Amino acid sequence: MSDTTLVTRILFQDFSSWSITLFYLLGYTAIGIFAHGVYTQVRKYRRGRPLDIGAWRQRAVTMVQDMLTHRTLVRRDRKAGRAHALIFFGFALLFIGTATITLEYDILQPLFGWRFWHSEFYLWFSLVLDIAGAGLIAGVLYMMYRRQWLKLPKLDYARPDRSPQDPDYDRSAYRREDWAFLWALILIGITGFVLEATRLVWLSGQPTVWDLRFWSPVGAVMAHAMQWFGLSPEGAGLFRSGLWWFHGLLALTFIALIPYSKIKHIVTAPTSLMLRDPLAGRRLPKVPEEQASAGYQYITDFKWKELLHLDACTKCGRCHEACPANAVGAPLSPRDVILSLREFANQSLNAVTLPEKAELDVHGKAPGQVFMETLWSCRTCLACVEICPVAVEHVPIIVQMRRKLVEDGNMEPLLEKTLQTIHKTGNSFGESKRKRAAWTKELPFTIKDARKEAVDMLWFVGDYASFDPRNQKVTRAFARLMHQAGVDFGLLFEGEMNAGNDVRRVGEEGLYEYLATANITSIRDCEFKSVVTTDPHSYNTIRNEYPDFGGEFEIQHYTTVVRELLLQGRLRLSKTLGYRVTFHDPCHLGRYNKGFDAPRDILQMLGCELVEMGRNRDNSFCCGAGGGRIWIPDAPGTEKPSQNRMHEAGAIEGLQVFVVSCPKDLTMFEDALKTSGYEGKFVVRELIELIEECVEYDESPALSVEV
Amino acid sequence: MKIVVAVKQVAALDDDFEIRADGLDVDEDFLMYDLNEWDDYSLEEAMKIKEAAAEGAVEVIAVSVGPERVDESLRKCLAKGADRAIRVWDDAMEGSDAVTIGRILAGVVKKEAPAMVFAGVQSSDQANAATGMAIAASLDWPHAAVVAELDYQPGAATARIKRELEGGMLQAVEIDCPAVLTLQLGINKPRYASLRGIKQAAAKPIEHWSLGDLGLDATQVGTTAALSRVRRMEIPVKGRAQMIEGTIAEQAAKLIEIIKEYKGEAA
Repeated sequence: MSDTTLVTRILFQDFSSWSITLFYLLGYTAIGIFAHGVYTQVRKYRRGRPLDIGAWRQRAVTMVQDMLTHRTLVRRDRKAGRAHALIFFGFALLFIGTATITLEYDILQPLFGWRFWHSEFYLWFSLVLDIAGAGLIAGVLYMMYRRQWLKLPKLDYARPDRSPQDPDYDRSAYRREDWAFLWALILIGITGFVLEATRLVWLSGQPTVWDLRFWSPVGAVMAHAMQWFGLSPEGAGLFRSGLWWFHGLLALTFIALIPYSKIKHIVTAPTSLMLRDPLAGRRLPKVPEEQASAGYQYITDFKWKELLHLDACTKCGRCHEACPANAVGAPLSPRDVILSLREFANQSLNAVTLPEKAELDVHGKAPGQVFMETLWSCRTCLACVEICPVAVEHVPIIVQMRRKLVEDGNMEPLLEKTLQTIHKTGNSFGESKRKRAAWTKELPFTIKDARKEAVDMLWFVGDYASFDPRNQKVTRAFARLMHQAGVDFGLLFEGEMNAGNDVRRVGEEGLYEYLATANITSIRDCEFKSVVTTDPHSYNTIRNEYPDFGGEFEIQHYTTVVRELLLQGRLRLSKTLGYRVTFHDPCHLGRYNKGFDAPRDILQMLGCELVEMGRNRDNSFCCGAGGGRIWIPDAPGTEKPSQNRMHEAGAIEGLQVFVVSCPKDLTMFEDALKTSGYEGKFVVRELIELIEECVEYDESPALSVEV
Repeated sequence: MKIVVAVKQVAALDDDFEIRADGLDVDEDFLMYDLNEWDDYSLEEAMKIKEAAAEGAVEVIAVSVGPERVDESLRKCLAKGADRAIRVWDDAMEGSDAVTIGRILAGVVKKEAPAMVFAGVQSSDQANAATGMAIAASLDWPHAAVVAELDYQPGAATARIKRELEGGMLQAVEIDCPAVLTLQLGINKPRYASLRGIKQAAAKPIEHWSLGDLGLDATQVGTTAALSRVRRMEIPVKGRAQMIEGTIAEQAAKLIEIIKEYKGEAA
């Protein structure tokens, strides 16, 4: 071929000048509609509270990694994640391809006379875009199959927080939008290929086109098929011009609708990922001193980042599936919280002028509102935040709304009583301060008072481990382990108060501040190297939240401490157990703080055979006690999350021990064991109790832990 | 228009407490203080009247007699929405009985001239159920005790109330105002005072009044004026309830032994 610049596609070939003008007019209109939509959305976000994001560069790098690896999308739904990757990369390449053509045709060539979209570059371009188009179609086909035939519960829009007669129960509009989106994508893809094929048939007489047709393999195969069916070049030319307009108008409509529809997520999802707070839910936001009211009362109380998070949701239902409240039929689905708030934000913040008051109404059944029953159903277990592929942070929003509920006294009487008790006595059991260390009396040795003498390790015991009689046995067992290992440790005695983790997650921020500052002052007055606790809830707040109040302490959960003591030989095992066990990851140790391995390592050292439940590690299923729910009775006649979990464990054949490493878990699951009918089949044990069974004691044999 | 709400900081006992060396009271170390439960209700009733009226039309004033620690309870009242808080104290007031406290509170009422005075039916620690009535007696005002329902429009000449009697009976009463009412638990649902609210209320002043402010002298208050004096406080000898320990079989055996003993059969 003499002139390789002829190897290209002539744009608008044989179009009349008025039709080209018409196309450009339509194109600019589409861009105008798109730009207006972007403007109103940005205006909406700017109506939220300001927030300094900082470290943009690092955030952008992580976001690009998230997108390229699709790591957030393949989790717990590998097939959907991969199908999304096909669509994403296909769409991205096709977009880059179209942009490349625009760059040459509308910018570089008219301004500078540069052309590059021909010859070998053009051929490779054709091949790559053909593959991209095929990927896009394949991905969309899978998604269509998945929606239509897999009948996934997470994809139906059944709302646990509304009943069918409520005005906004019906979410079929979302379903129609989902399908319209899939059909638009696949039609753009298919018509693109048909166009390509008709062009090949139309120009089959030109060697610069026809001889090189297999650089567009999909189009070429289709072209041959068309010829086989008897399509003539003239017929193809005629068909092409009609189809061209259909394809073009579809694509322009798609672009115009991006800010107004689900397609928006191609922008909001990456931005949301970029705004991800790695400590979301683990470290709740402080209430500024000067702020009159705690919590969110108006939609404009939301930070702009949170308004954007609302728009990133693609309704994939992963949070809906992971939520323990939803699993037991409580009126909460994290997805519906986000969608309701999004609907409310759109309704009130998309207008040209900001409404006087866009108040969040927690009472009644108004459309687009999140009710207090829903907010109080949350266990703040972070299952939703953990799995959201686009980094929506549900729990901090729920807690912010709860703060307002608490301020207005919109809570269960029993919870109100507990909060008052904690304020009065410093613990949720209503016991007097001086009884906090009463559990130590039965020990054959005395424990140091860290307030009076220096220690290596300061043991923050926590409420449940201090006061609950069943947990006290475990607490004493841990004291014996530390004593046996020769660890120099001490307690705060009555200087310790409820750590505040759950009080904060209830939304009683003032009480949390009071507890946190009191504990920080007590801890600071002691001389020690690090803090240890058996309570994952205390562990979380001391580790992640006390620093915001000036308390920077090194803290470990007992599982890492004991693993170290075993590895160093400071604790020796006199026997191994050989039990068939399963391990329940406490939310605040596992998902919150990634402490997955230490307890499993210890179980292995003890010779236990660990059989994992289906929901383990970051997908562990909350016992139902989190977020202050341990102080709120579950509605009678409903399944408790802990019972749901027991059934999961009960399905393990020959299970002997259900192992936990959290005081609240021990309470919740020992109760659930009985109420769900597994008593006598297997037992619930704190990991400490299994360790105690194996450890070799120098002094009088360990007081047996009768249960 | 003003409503005076008389409140009290009550003491709750620790599980293991000790009697003071002089035998007259529990050692302060073993006491935990909080606002009397009844007062949550009487304050709430005043707040409801205030909130139903036009802004600024009703002023709610919480009043208490006691030493500095009482400020904490008054702050809780301010957090719940009371407009003002007055704490009355003088060391001479130590040892006052319910009637004397009533006289002191009546002094405040005379100064403030409210349209209504609310108090709790009783306090959870001393349980005299007398202070509210003593205020009315000192003032020679109409009074009603154990009010379970209240229908009162600010500024009205009368109020309709229902008093709780024995056996679940209610007595409907019309009372001339100003009056002194002692309110019963359950008359409303008291609001929650969030800790932030309490903290913000710390900025509101608490007025401190003394004998002079009330036109009283030391002989009219405290132990000297009290018509009754505490002679001794004691812990009654433990009853005969006893916990049977041991395994289920041992417990059963022990139980049989006890039953036989009572029946006079030989063990």
